[in-house]
Amino acid sequence: MSSAISTTTEQDALLRAGIDRSLRHPVMFFLTSGAAWLAVSIVLGIISSAKAHAPGFLSCCSWLTYGRVFPAHINAFIYGWGFQAAFAVIIWMMARLSRKECTAAGLILVAGHVWNLGVFLGLVGILSGSSTGMPWMEFPAFAWPVLLASYFAIVIWSFIQFRVRPEGHVYISQWYLLAAIVWFPWIFITANTLLHCLPGHPVMAAGINAWYKSALTFLFFTPVALGTAYYLAPKITGQPVYSYSLAKLGFWSLAVIAPWAGMQKLAGAPIPYFLPYVGAAATVMLFVPTISAAINLLRTAISSPEILASSPSLRFTLAGIGGLILLACSAVVLNLPDSTLPLTQFSLSGYGFEILALYGFFSFVMFGAVYFIVPRVTRREWLSRRLIKIHFLFSVYGIMAVALFAIFGGFEQGIGQEDWQQPWQNAASRAYPYAVGTTIAWCFILFSNIFFFIHLALMWLRLGRRSQHPTLFDAAHGHASSPHGEEGDIDNAGPGYISAH
Amino acid sequence: MSLPNEKPDLEESINVTEAHGVAVRDAAACAREKRIVDNGIAPISLWALVACGVVLLIAGGILGDAGHWFSYGTLFRENYVRTPAGGAEDTGPLPKEALAAYMAKGSKIYSAKCNGCHGSDGKGNGSTFPSLAGTPWPNGETERFAMIILNGLQGPVHDGITYGVMPPQGIGMTPEDLAGIMTYVRSSFGNTKGDVITLDMAKAAIEISAARKNAGNSVTAEELSADHLKDLPGEKLDPKTLLDPITLAPAKAP
Repeated sequence: MSSAISTTTEQDALLRAGIDRSLRHPVMFFLTSGAAWLAVSIVLGIISSAKAHAPGFLSCCSWLTYGRVFPAHINAFIYGWGFQAAFAVIIWMMARLSRKECTAAGLILVAGHVWNLGVFLGLVGILSGSSTGMPWMEFPAFAWPVLLASYFAIVIWSFIQFRVRPEGHVYISQWYLLAAIVWFPWIFITANTLLHCLPGHPVMAAGINAWYKSALTFLFFTPVALGTAYYLAPKITGQPVYSYSLAKLGFWSLAVIAPWAGMQKLAGAPIPYFLPYVGAAATVMLFVPTISAAINLLRTAISSPEILASSPSLRFTLAGIGGLILLACSAVVLNLPDSTLPLTQFSLSGYGFEILALYGFFSFVMFGAVYFIVPRVTRREWLSRRLIKIHFLFSVYGIMAVALFAIFGGFEQGIGQEDWQQPWQNAASRAYPYAVGTTIAWCFILFSNIFFFIHLALMWLRLGRRSQHPTLFDAAHGHASSPHGEEGDIDNAGPGYISAH
Repeated sequence: MSLPNEKPDLEESINVTEAHGVAVRDAAACAREKRIVDNGIAPISLWALVACGVVLLIAGGILGDAGHWFSYGTLFRENYVRTPAGGAEDTGPLPKEALAAYMAKGSKIYSAKCNGCHGSDGKGNGSTFPSLAGTPWPNGETERFAMIILNGLQGPVHDGITYGVMPPQGIGMTPEDLAGIMTYVRSSFGNTKGDVITLDMAKAAIEISAARKNAGNSVTAEELSADHLKDLPGEKLDPKTLLDPITLAPAKAP
């Protein structure tokens, strides 16, 4: 009997190992180049944030002016890091959950290079002054068909894997990943054709652009991150997802509410006034899907505190859930048309909200996934728990500081802007201390990400530890003398026994 | 019999090296993974429902303010777009110095009416359109200059050269337009008169023009020298006087 159990577990492990092997190169390519773009984006973010309080900083040449550096920062973040992290997670997790090896790794890798080329040329376009001026769509118009084509070439295989999966239960993560795969082309094609190919009234174009930003956040990055968190939390703790009904509520309310959000940015602009109000109401209602998922994941993760204390993946995922809760609350607080919306519409707060969604929530869950996936696809363990710890602490404190400084500084700035009989300088000086704080916090994040990138690049070069012992935060699992356990020690406890990380 | 995973290397039926070898060597991380367990069935907790309910009420309030749904007819909610704050008057635009205010008006009219022939640099083209820069008529007596603008000009100009026929520009021209153009030309293109042709002067010019003997025809050099070789009547205005830039009426200093 025990031999039968052992054989099934081992077959499972070998199947999983086969899937991981088939995806090793594309996954590592996406993660490593994504982390490199993240570092680039943070450097640009520091420069643009510094210009908010020190306008003379690096004002020497035109390609370093705020109007170019800021869009370059946010686009490098979204298309360079965000999408590539999402690609890595989608192709790996969908293959795992559909129990299918990837047969198109070469093609995905080629498409990944095309994507990177598109992002690179787009950024060169922005910095050389050919930006389109539409937030989050600043890449010159040549870029979007390139990105769309490589997107299809990358994720279509995950869609096929889902279609040919063995019969049975469809897991929560698969709902979210599949939804994200389908929703992104919808919003991307809609926004780009309406803005680049069939330009209508320019005020409405600004509305479509605001919708695109919101839809990209809540219909692509959010489902990818939630799908990942729904995979990692039960997988690492070994506990069931806390509540299936809450998961269903979270998924369907997101699908129904999120497409309506976004146009509140244009409240008071000459577009039909129900549009901004529906946008504001939908953004407020996004509290429901986000808080349902957050409660569910939180209850799942904290069911085993000892694993929470030791696992880097779970720690990052949980930090992301913390970001999600903050995001849910600020979605309500920032979008009340009669009180707060006029203050946040044109101030730093919008940026704080976006960074909270993209970094405080999405990126942290992605980091959790990176720490889980990379040892599996490279078959090496992470080199140093200290590097992971530096990455975690500096990122968490840094990003909380960026988001809170920007959101509260935005309120102050908004109050200054609303007092229209005072010179504009007043609004700027109200935001000044918060802008300085934001710059400093970005420096902390840069520091943490340099270590992350180096660590990841070493893993990519297969320079990770050859060991059976995972790299964990605490030393309370029997190897107190060495952070890595005794090197080369064969773990005889068998598969599925010691804590998985 | 021992539990399956407790001490597998003591279980005789398993060859540890063989059974675990592959998994341990090649797939250690995969082998130590846990399975995702079936979904939990905990009910949605009451406080979560209450929190979501409160948020839905707030959202409902916002939707209630959203006007008629799917109405494309209304652009602004009443009072959303700002009116002056209580207690504060709308003080209008800031006052400007007279010369700058008149020139701002004049430059618009110049680009609409004069630019086509005399050019944006006021130099004409030397053959069919004479120059306004530094030439005596625009910079000379103001009544003569006004008559040329209002009625057009035929025959030779000051230097005896006949360039072409200038069509009359006075049709529909308000005193404000005329005053603006004249002030603009006399202080642009290198001209440095720096004086202001006031609204009163321009009104007088329009009356003089209407009262000409051969009203309706373009003026000629002879007529100009005979009848109009003087400045327009009216009180001179210090170019530094502060004016309202819209109405050109005197304004108080801010």
